[in-house]
Amino acid sequence: MDGLISFATAVGSILTSWSALDVVWATLLGIIVGMLPGLTATLGVALLTTLTFKMGADQAILILICMYVGAIYGGSRSAILLNIPGTPANAATALDGFPLARAGKAGSAMAIATTGSVFGSFIGMIALAVIAPVLAEFALSFGAYEFFWLAVFGVLISGQLTSLDDPIKGWIAGFLGLFIATIGQEGIYAVPRFSYGSTDLSGGIGLLPAMVGAFGLAEILTVMRHEAYEAVRAKTDSVWSGIRSSYKYKMTALRSGLIGTLMGLIPGVGEDMGAWASYAAARQSSKNKEEFGKGSVEGLLAAETGNNAAVPGALIPVLTLAVPGSAPAAVLLAAMIIHGIRPGPLIMIESPGFVYSVVAMVFLATIAMGVLGLLLTRPLVLVLKVTRERLMPIIFVLCIVGAFAIASRTFDVWVMLFFGVFGFILRELKYPMAPLILGIVLGDILDKSLRRGLVLSDGDLFQFFNRPISMVLWISALLFILVTMPSIRKWMGRAFKPKTEGGVK
Amino acid sequence: MSQPAMNKADFISSIVLTAFGIGVIVESLRLPRLENLSVNPYTVPGIVPGFIGIFLTLAGFFIFIRSIRRRGWDLRLNKDHAITWISSPMVKRTAVTMIITMGYAIFLFPHIPFWIAAPIFIFVFVVATESMKYGKLPGGVRLLTALALAVAAGLVINYVFQDLFFVRLPGG
Repeated sequence: MDGLISFATAVGSILTSWSALDVVWATLLGIIVGMLPGLTATLGVALLTTLTFKMGADQAILILICMYVGAIYGGSRSAILLNIPGTPANAATALDGFPLARAGKAGSAMAIATTGSVFGSFIGMIALAVIAPVLAEFALSFGAYEFFWLAVFGVLISGQLTSLDDPIKGWIAGFLGLFIATIGQEGIYAVPRFSYGSTDLSGGIGLLPAMVGAFGLAEILTVMRHEAYEAVRAKTDSVWSGIRSSYKYKMTALRSGLIGTLMGLIPGVGEDMGAWASYAAARQSSKNKEEFGKGSVEGLLAAETGNNAAVPGALIPVLTLAVPGSAPAAVLLAAMIIHGIRPGPLIMIESPGFVYSVVAMVFLATIAMGVLGLLLTRPLVLVLKVTRERLMPIIFVLCIVGAFAIASRTFDVWVMLFFGVFGFILRELKYPMAPLILGIVLGDILDKSLRRGLVLSDGDLFQFFNRPISMVLWISALLFILVTMPSIRKWMGRAFKPKTEGGVK
Repeated sequence: MSQPAMNKADFISSIVLTAFGIGVIVESLRLPRLENLSVNPYTVPGIVPGFIGIFLTLAGFFIFIRSIRRRGWDLRLNKDHAITWISSPMVKRTAVTMIITMGYAIFLFPHIPFWIAAPIFIFVFVVATESMKYGKLPGGVRLLTALALAVAAGLVINYVFQDLFFVRLPGG
């Protein structure tokens, strides 16, 4: 009940102040950022963090959440109209959205995407309100061992899920991120590591310049490398028929919302997997499997519900464990710390109202997203007429100024450039970016927890394995990794195959 | 990237990764152990980077072996293929983007006032990439709109950061 009152108070205070205007412009900007190929939600949140760090904490976090929610939804527009996902989270959307647009049903497709996104966001929001306080209380019992395993679990699972074809590359990306986090003064004795006398390196590698590089410059280089997209020419029909047809698949939407939220909850996995897992589950249980990939309303609805449900889902570990559920959530975590908010197990004790303020922010961003998305269907299509040749240089200037503005030092610009080129090379070699960023975020937790744990146990590694929560974390990470490994899956497939041919006569 | 090309890229990158992992282990061992402060040996600063180095070395070695089994070691260059690849529009676009962006970031941004440097960069980028796209220098209207875009974007970004957010940009 207290939570509901805090939520209502937060909604009321936003709506009765200038912050209501922030909700509208930030969500609209998010939709536009998401729509434009080459601009991801992560980059949008990162650039806006540099623009909002002189604002008050509540106002800045509200703007960033609106950007995050809007961008993940906005990516569906280019996926439907151009067959180019605006953000990686909308890749599954393009599979059925684009065939629908080609069939002259672009308006319906956009309405289905909007309905799914709004529904998914609401499911995730309810989960955020219900799970976050419980998880925060539960996390109070976490010690060094549990935080160590949480960091290992996050890096391994994120590496596994973002690089399903070749998990070792995902793990390498995660461990490279962990290594990057060790650069600079360590947190126990303040000994500088890998800084070789550089005062800038002694201060460590900033997360924001690294993210702006890995998701900004690397994306610019990737976009410019590929062929230009054609300006949109699809005809749009009425949006209302799309809303009506979404209603027919309400159970698919509910299931996708739950799957998306769960994917958001898992550290470093986020919206991309939220969409793909929901899409796969929808196809598995659909009566019309053959329509998937050819313009299935159910497939489109599942993908868009799943990715937007992952947004509030990814905020749950941010608030309660200080562990990001996705790449944009990692920036949001950094922004919260910049603004003096301390996410983690103590959040419900130190600032209990903040969790419900975040729920209220997601709620208002979702409403703004739905209203703007439906009302501005046709005008927003014009955004896609901007060519990459004219957009990318402006984005690059924003990346440079954004990296510089955080601490007014040129070193951060070099960090941004390094991560841009390094990220581009890694992408070309099929190394995912999300585990790298998660590794940078979790590096400090892993470092301190392992060393503290070893002191507490006097070097007895067994202590890391035999505590109940530690046990759950390492066993589930191990099982998950084993089950998703192609060679193990093949072996299991053979072992459990019914003996129908040759085996039984 | 095709699978044979990826195998070759994996072969080279795994050597770099393994060498890097070994370097991290060596540098971790060289980090101070603070014996003079009698610190607990389990908390020495090199312990975590050392473990990370071991993982990177093993993972790099795994990819190295895998790339050898997939014939990634066969790095013989086909001269015709190499020339076709270098002169492909994709490589040209990437190279031009890289040169212009790095040129701006390294030479213009730190040394020239932002409100001059940013429009120059935007204009040069638009003209260079549109020339590649259309196969010729953009016409009068395109040049004019590119110039207007460059000046407007440079001035707006300069105003937002310097005057609204009080960020003192370098070079000015």
